[in-house]
Amino acid sequence: MTPDTILSVDGLTVRFDASQPLLTRLVTRTGRRTVHAVELVDLQIARGSTFALVGESGCGKSTIARTIAGVQRPTGGGVSFMGVDIAAFRTRRASMRYRRDLQMIFQDPYASLNPRWRVGRIIAEPIVTHGLLKRGRELDLRIEELLSTVGLSPSDARKFPHQFSGGQRQRISIARALASNPAFIVCDEPTSALDVSVQAQILNLMRKLQQELGLTYLLISHNLAVVAHMADSLGVMYLGRIVEQGDAGQLLDDPQHPYTRLLLDTVPDPHAPNRSRTRLAGEVPSPLSPPTGCAFHPRCPVANERCSHEIPRPVRVRKAWVSCHAVEEARLPPSLPNMLDPLNNTGDAA
Amino acid sequence: MSALLEVENLRVEIAARARRLVAIDDVSFSIPEGEVLGVVGESGAGKSVTGTAILGLLERPAYQAGGRIVFRGNRIDNLDGEAMRALRGREIAAVFQDPLTSLDPLMTIGAQLVETMLTHLPIDRQEAWTRAHRLLAEVGIPAPRERLQSYPHELSGGMRQRVVLALAFCCEPKLIIADEPTTALDVSIQAQVLDLLKRMCRERGTAVMLVTHDMGVIAEAADRVAVMYAGRLVEIGPTSEILRAAAHPYTQGLMASIPTMRRRGGDLLQIPGSMPRPDAPVPGCAFHPRCSHVMDRCRSERPSSFVSGASLAACWLAEHGAPAARPRP
Amino acid sequence: MSTTDRSNGMIPSRWWDSDILYRFRRSPVAVVSGIVTIALIAAAIGADVIAPFDAFDPATANVIDARLPPGSEGIYGDIYLLGTDPQGRDMLSAMIYGLQTSLVVGLSSIALAAFVGVLLGLLAGYFGGMLDALIMRIADVQLSFPAILIALLIDGVTRTALSRETHERLAVPILIAAIAASFWVQYARTVRSLVLTERGREYVLAAKVTGVSTTRILASHILPNVLGPVLVIATINLALAILTEATLSFLGVGIPSTQPSLGSLVRIGNEFIFSGDWWISACPGALLVILSLSVNLFGDWLRDALNPKLNA
Repeated sequence: MTPDTILSVDGLTVRFDASQPLLTRLVTRTGRRTVHAVELVDLQIARGSTFALVGESGCGKSTIARTIAGVQRPTGGGVSFMGVDIAAFRTRRASMRYRRDLQMIFQDPYASLNPRWRVGRIIAEPIVTHGLLKRGRELDLRIEELLSTVGLSPSDARKFPHQFSGGQRQRISIARALASNPAFIVCDEPTSALDVSVQAQILNLMRKLQQELGLTYLLISHNLAVVAHMADSLGVMYLGRIVEQGDAGQLLDDPQHPYTRLLLDTVPDPHAPNRSRTRLAGEVPSPLSPPTGCAFHPRCPVANERCSHEIPRPVRVRKAWVSCHAVEEARLPPSLPNMLDPLNNTGDAA
Repeated sequence: MSALLEVENLRVEIAARARRLVAIDDVSFSIPEGEVLGVVGESGAGKSVTGTAILGLLERPAYQAGGRIVFRGNRIDNLDGEAMRALRGREIAAVFQDPLTSLDPLMTIGAQLVETMLTHLPIDRQEAWTRAHRLLAEVGIPAPRERLQSYPHELSGGMRQRVVLALAFCCEPKLIIADEPTTALDVSIQAQVLDLLKRMCRERGTAVMLVTHDMGVIAEAADRVAVMYAGRLVEIGPTSEILRAAAHPYTQGLMASIPTMRRRGGDLLQIPGSMPRPDAPVPGCAFHPRCSHVMDRCRSERPSSFVSGASLAACWLAEHGAPAARPRP
Repeated sequence: MSTTDRSNGMIPSRWWDSDILYRFRRSPVAVVSGIVTIALIAAAIGADVIAPFDAFDPATANVIDARLPPGSEGIYGDIYLLGTDPQGRDMLSAMIYGLQTSLVVGLSSIALAAFVGVLLGLLAGYFGGMLDALIMRIADVQLSFPAILIALLIDGVTRTALSRETHERLAVPILIAAIAASFWVQYARTVRSLVLTERGREYVLAAKVTGVSTTRILASHILPNVLGPVLVIATINLALAILTEATLSFLGVGIPSTQPSLGSLVRIGNEFIFSGDWWISACPGALLVILSLSVNLFGDWLRDALNPKLNA
């Protein structure tokens, strides 16, 4: 852990119990079922940078975000924020300092604001909860300041969330997240519910705030173009594990892991139509019963016997870590073959 | 190429209390046989309402207030419910964003395909089951014979959308209205479903109206693209031309505001403000309050469509065929 | 269609702000039932002023005037608009006071049931696990007994446990508790299911991330957002509670006959129906029908108006 690391995640594992009720299990003679949402994830985030986690739905990126934000208990491993282990907090009081320094913005601007609260009260909540300012003139001034910081008008404090468009609501969300002067903001799909022109406004605002306030972002997104635009470092997740992480430029320009390469190839780019691409075949298997070995091996065009039973360890490739046997054995072809005819590829059933 | 579908001056209004809000205003376009027309726009631009109007599925308080919809030379917007139902599913099929809205949760996939075919096609049950099996295999469902007996909830999201495509194609329609067919899917599955849609249309000569908010999907699948803004059609033309050199400032701004894998960091171009709502219409060109090229006449006079290259753009800048200036990022 | 419209802002998302009044004015059923309900409640509140006689004062009752038909003149020249009962009480006055008792019992029992039900529903929905299982199993057991049976049981137990005077004095609170006991389940179940969706919403998550205490999250974030449906159930249940009170009083296990309630009045008249004195039962009965019908219709309208899925 280097001195400028603000957050470090070590061996984080989160599992959910998805079992049927006891009686049903006894009658149907089925056992307990566990969702392996996150398995042994390590990552470090440098102060003032943007770390992005990408992956398809169900890969565990949102679970990591929630664990870091302190609303999901890890099953194993730990998260340490500014050198303090957050899993060690036993009481709410003990965690208050950390909750002040770490805030979160959410995907759905229609669900993330209490519909019955005025905007001023919504933004004031973190300030009041942490006792930063007394109610009154000072608090009102701070709310007005926060509203202008995110590009809204001070008079908006008296309105209700439903009086705003999606993009404006996301600005209110950002103002709330800034209210307690945090150092770190977890951004869970902050623009995926917005139209592209509004998305550009919000992304620009986020960058501006990062530069002015020295914020660190953990950006969760399924949109690779957004990630490419925002991230300094990047982690690619597949079925609960990070398959490749490191410098964003290197990962995007010279991806190593077959999943990263195929994922990047799959993204449609309106600025470059009609390019020929290799398709990612099949679908993500269920996290209830992840494949043995490397979780990606059933969809991987270069998988071999070893991949099907041995979980790959991360190996260093310049400014990145890659968990892939093919990379380790240096048997990765420069361009990946199309694995199967996309018509008969799907191993997915129920 | 003869026009399969012609939409002329379509106008859709929404009755709200004492007022009538205009959802779609003077929209005209045509789709030739076998073409994929992408209809793109931000939420509230009216792209879905246009699709709904063509399918004859507008529901109160929305209603068609003007214009004509002509399909294979016959006007269809004034058909009665019975005749429209016969046309839907047989000649015009629909694919929606959420596959579960198109599938009956209580019927097996096979039964749904067979019932649809028996309703519209002069074939017997035996033949219908054979065709259903063939279709499932064609849309890439593994073990199609077993899957015929499955219920929709037993399939993954991507598989369900493949079944919806099979259902849409089962009566060999001439036109498919696909409303955000891949939006709910992951990128890798999205690409698979788009490929499938494109291939099946090409093989059968089926035309598609592909409604989406995603320029990436347009780039991937559409032959031509129609850009909608605030209930109006602002630009229509060949996909490559619109993506490369759009004539309308809105389309230009939209393209420039999309982050790309190539250009990283820095600020994105952003169009200031937001799209006007139907309850607060803008006089003249609906885009003029956000436009960086706004002129006096834009504020009062609504532009008609002008030829610009191979496209049509509803912008005064295109009036004399002058090349529109590129916006400064 | 409705979802697109909503997100486009074509329909204001806060339908309950302005649209509800508009909808109210546009619905004749709502207007009529609303006016009748409010008029009856006003009459009950102003019983002392409105009623021609004091139904609780034995001095105003005159046995000579017993069982006079509607419109008769008493021996002191009083006009009994709706006739008199077997003790010579003015039926109209007895009914107005009866309405008061019925509404007090109905409203109090619903308030109690709603309070208990909302509290247990909040706890069960938010915390889940064993607490949820416990509360919901109790609710299931509760649901398998009809309301009348529970009220009869409570009445029987208190009757043996308490002296006659104490029981008579406590009759109203006991009745309220008995009715509430059979009504809280519905609130608990509804609130629990609403809390299950609300607690996963991102604004609750945001409060958790900030470190807001659980009590505050429940009280100021979740509770206000689940109260709408509670209000609707309460309105619809009010009619049921009033009818339950009347039924119990009619059966003789509710309000004692010395205290007029709509149910006890019907019971008194029941003995005289075959002697042709129909008004003693029919008048309070009709009032009961009007009251429960108008409250019910109003509740139905409220449910439809507040249900966003129904207003396309």
